[in-house]
Amino acid sequence: MSAETQRPGFALQAVRALPPLVLLGFLAALPLFNLGANSVKVLFLTFVSIAASVGWNILGGFAGQVSFGFAVFYGLGAYTTAVGINEGLSPYLTYPLAAAVAAVASLLVGLPTFRLRGPYFAIATIGVSEATRVIMSNLEFTGGASGYRITEHVPFRQTEHYYTGLALATVAVLISIAVRRSRFGLGLRAIRDDQDAAADTGVNPYAYKLAAHALAAALTGAAGGVYARYAAFIDPEGVFGFQRSVGILLMPVIGGVNTIWGPVIGGGVYGVIEEELVARFPQIHLLLYGALVMLIILFEPGGVLGLLQRARRLVLRRRVASWQPS
Amino acid sequence: MTASDYLNLLISALLLAGTYAAMAVGMTVIYGVMKIVNLAHAGFLMLGAYFVYEVHERAGLHPLAAAVLAFPFFYGLGVVVHWALGRGVPVSDTPTLASLLLMFGLWLVLQNVGYLVWGTSDRSILTPMTFATIRFGEITIPKIGLVVFASAVVSLAALEFVLHKTWFGRSIRALIQNRYSCRIVGINVERTARLTFGLGIAFAGTAGGLLALLYPFSPDFGRPFLLRSFVIIVLGGLESFSGVFVGSLILALVETFSILIVPSSYQPAISFGLLVVALIVLPGGVAGFVARKRSRRAG
Repeated sequence: MSAETQRPGFALQAVRALPPLVLLGFLAALPLFNLGANSVKVLFLTFVSIAASVGWNILGGFAGQVSFGFAVFYGLGAYTTAVGINEGLSPYLTYPLAAAVAAVASLLVGLPTFRLRGPYFAIATIGVSEATRVIMSNLEFTGGASGYRITEHVPFRQTEHYYTGLALATVAVLISIAVRRSRFGLGLRAIRDDQDAAADTGVNPYAYKLAAHALAAALTGAAGGVYARYAAFIDPEGVFGFQRSVGILLMPVIGGVNTIWGPVIGGGVYGVIEEELVARFPQIHLLLYGALVMLIILFEPGGVLGLLQRARRLVLRRRVASWQPS
Repeated sequence: MTASDYLNLLISALLLAGTYAAMAVGMTVIYGVMKIVNLAHAGFLMLGAYFVYEVHERAGLHPLAAAVLAFPFFYGLGVVVHWALGRGVPVSDTPTLASLLLMFGLWLVLQNVGYLVWGTSDRSILTPMTFATIRFGEITIPKIGLVVFASAVVSLAALEFVLHKTWFGRSIRALIQNRYSCRIVGINVERTARLTFGLGIAFAGTAGGLLALLYPFSPDFGRPFLLRSFVIIVLGGLESFSGVFVGSLILALVETFSILIVPSSYQPAISFGLLVVALIVLPGGVAGFVARKRSRRAG
C-alpha cells in the first residue's frame, strides 16, 4: 500500500508539514516588503486560481469525475458576491453565500448524471456553462451581457484582497487534506478505482459523487466571489466563459491530478504562465494549453509532481548504484 | 401561423435531421468501439468546413465535390491522429480520464490552429443554390438544404451498407457488442479501432463541410455542434446507429419548433435543456427504452 494509507509517526508528520508552513509564513509576510502592485495582483489571482483548482481536484482527481464546466460555479459565486455586496451585505458574508449557491447549482448537473453509468457527467458539463452563460446574458437585473458593476463605499485596499485570497487558498488546501484523510476521501478513491467494488463495501457512489461535486463547487464558488470583489466588474463572457473552465481544469492537470499539492503547484504555474502568455501571445495561448494537456497525458500523467517523483527516483537509483560497502 | 407554415417548419426540421445524423454518427462509431468521447469532434467539424471552403475557393471545385473529397482526406487524417496518439486512445470498457482530457486537448489545439490560420472572422460558402428555393404552392423548400440532406442521406446509406455487408463493418458492430468475443473469433481489435477512428473523423469532416454550406462558420464553429452531437447520441443511447437517427430527428424537431415559444436569445441553451430532460426521462436513450420494453414483454 502507498504511504498515504499508513499513518506516519508524529515526528515525520511534523517534518512533512514544515515546507508548506514555511511557504505560508513567507506568503503571509510578503506584503510587508512593499511589492509592486502588479506582483501582488498576480499573487492574488494565483491564490484564487489555486482555490478553484483544489476544488476541481476533489471531484476530478479524488473521485475521478472530469468536469469541463467549472466556470458555472465560479461565475455563480462571482455574481452572488456581486449582488450581495451591492445589496449592502458584508463582503465576508457573501463568500459563504457564494459557496452555498454554487453547491446547490452543482446538484442540477449531478442529480441527473451521477446516477447513470458512462460518460454522461463529462458530456453534460460541456453544455452547462454554455447554457448558464446564455441565461445570465439575458438576465435583466444583473445587466445581461453588458456586465455588472460592484460599488463598495470603502477605499480599495489591495493588501486586504491579498490576505483574503491567501486565506481562501489555505482553507481550500486544508479541506482537501481533510477530505483525503477522511473516510469520505477513501470512499471517493474507491469509487474512482472501481465503482462496483466500492458499492459492495457499503459506499454509496451516487451520494459520494454528489457530495464531492457540491464541495468542489462550493470552493470554486467562493473563489469566484473573492475574485468578483477584487475585479469590481464582472460579465457573463468573463466569468462563465469557456476559457475559465479550461483554466480551472488545466491547473490540476499541470500540477498533478489526484494529489494534494499538484493543484497548488499547477495553480502557481498557471498564474505565472497566464500573466506572461496572455500578454505576449493572446492568440495562441489556448493552443499552447491544449498542446500541454496532450503532452502531459501522453508522457507524464502525473504532471509536475509526477516529473519531480521521477527525477527523485532517478537520483536515488544513482545513489544506490554508486554506494560501495566499506 | 397557418397549416402551411407548420408544414414548412416540419420540412426544414426533417432536412436538418439528416445533416445532424451524419454529424453525430461519427461520434457514435468511435464511442461504440473504443468508449472514447471524442471531444475533438468539434475541431474536425470545423476543419471540415474550412477544407470545403479552401478547396472551393482555391481549386474552384463545387462545394459538394469538395465535401466528397473531404471524406477520404479526413479518413486519412483520423488514422494518422489515432496512430500519433498511440497509447492515449486505447480500446477500453469505460471512458478513461486520460482519453477525455486528451481529446479535449486535441480540440483546443485544432480550434486555435484554426484561429491562427483563418482568423476570427466569420466566413460562408455561397453558391448559386444558397438562396434558391423550390416551391410547391404554399410550401417552399430551400434548395441547399435539400441538396445537403441528400448528401447526408447518401453517406449514411453507404455507412449502413459497410456496416452490414463488409467484414470491416461486421467487426465494428461486433466490437460494439463484445470486445472479448471479438478477439476469440479473430478480429484484429487494434486495427479495427484505428480504421474506426478514421471513419468517425471522416464523418465529422464531411458533416462539417456540409454544415458549412448551410451556416456561416468561424474556428469556433464546432462547439455548438459538439453539444448537439452529444444530445443526439445520448438520446440515441450512445452506441446505437438507429438511435442516432431518432435522436437527430428529436433534436431537429425540438430546435425548429422551439422558435415558436422560446425567445431567440435563449436558443443556444435549448440543446442543453434537451440533454438534461433526456437524462432524466430517457436514461439509456431511445435504444435503452426499446430494450427495456422488449425485455419487459419477454419477461
